[in-house]
Amino acid sequence: MTEQLSTQKAINTALREILADDAKSLVFGEDVGKLGGVFRVTDGLQTEFGAHRVIDTPLAESGILGMAAGLAMAGHRPIPEVQFDGFAYPAMNQIISQIARTNYRSRGATPMQMVLRIPSYGGIRAPELHGESIEATLAHVPGLKVVSPSNPHQAYHLLRRAHEMPDPVMFMEPKSRYWNRGDVDFENPGDLEGSLVAREGEDLTIIAWGAMVARSLEVAELAAEDDVSIEVVDARWLKPLDEDGLVASVAKTGRAVIVHEAPRTAGLGAEIGQLLTERLWGKLEAPVERVTGYDVPTPAGDLEDEYIPSIDRILFGVQRSLEY
Amino acid sequence: MAERSFPLPDLGEGLIEATILEWLVEPGQWVERNTPLVEVETTKSAVELPSPIAGTVKTTHGEDGDTINVGDTLITFEVADEEAGIVGTVPQEKKKERRVRLSKK
Repeated sequence: MTEQLSTQKAINTALREILADDAKSLVFGEDVGKLGGVFRVTDGLQTEFGAHRVIDTPLAESGILGMAAGLAMAGHRPIPEVQFDGFAYPAMNQIISQIARTNYRSRGATPMQMVLRIPSYGGIRAPELHGESIEATLAHVPGLKVVSPSNPHQAYHLLRRAHEMPDPVMFMEPKSRYWNRGDVDFENPGDLEGSLVAREGEDLTIIAWGAMVARSLEVAELAAEDDVSIEVVDARWLKPLDEDGLVASVAKTGRAVIVHEAPRTAGLGAEIGQLLTERLWGKLEAPVERVTGYDVPTPAGDLEDEYIPSIDRILFGVQRSLEY
Repeated sequence: MAERSFPLPDLGEGLIEATILEWLVEPGQWVERNTPLVEVETTKSAVELPSPIAGTVKTTHGEDGDTINVGDTLITFEVADEEAGIVGTVPQEKKKERRVRLSKK
């Protein structure tokens, strides 16, 4: 069955099914219950499953993730939410010092099965600390998996997949895409491992994730007007990275532009660029280009169009690669 | 449809109330974000308050000349159910615009 849903509704549907199917699952966070989430992602879940399984927590992210750690140790499968990316910072001690390494510390005796939902990235004119791109920070921590869906179909299926995984998965939802609709094919998830070619092309590969996938697809459409054929790869899994998939696309096109909202320095663009250089040395037609946020705190709403890679900034990156 | 209300904000310097001089919008009107909603006067100055969101005005609270307290509901918007309660603004779908053209070497 295929249904057209917004990303927020697709995630809501996945959460509803997980709560129905898995008695060990719990949803909790700030405003997720009575309000249904500030983005309506958990709308109706508390009414349906009760306040003992869909729990409003105090405004204390360290407590939310501490509770998630304890529940996971006791064999539950928590799905906590931090309301915004920047609110993950107060929980970093629980995430890094406990959640990420308890499996390792216990020599595999205590897997920490959980999915942390993080509404992520900018694009909605929100205040400070509501538009952060923390994927590189999370991907740097051994023991965590990091995934970022780009559309409703991916959001639904990747969340269900993440819930089944034995490791803690950081699920980074592109909040600027919550309201965009797309077909969700419930029976046919497609391959959920690794990256995904979102559009095929011959001349150059753009690698992106989250909200930057849709923008890169727009760029590819515009580039076609100029007779430039761009392949867009949705990286999806940021830890572990789909090394073979990313390399395969760039081996075909010979040119790569990596697009992310996060600041440039030590961002995942550097990691992927190094991967491509290692594996494709001598085969690249141009240095790997990066189009990223700047090395500044993510600005508040009125300045975010200057910060987030725009269509023109991505096109400039493409042109730099083409004319090298 | 759902409702979203905003209180009279803290206008700074410890002010606790303001007097409505003139409403600049009326119920049923669609306003863009940052559109001036109302002119209010405090003991310090008269200021226009910009709209925190784009939406349809449902109710304006208080008449011209009324004094309301900081924190009391000032205006209520009607918003789609899926937009109720959000922090920030739902992005508008924009036409793809470009200035940069590509050329292969």
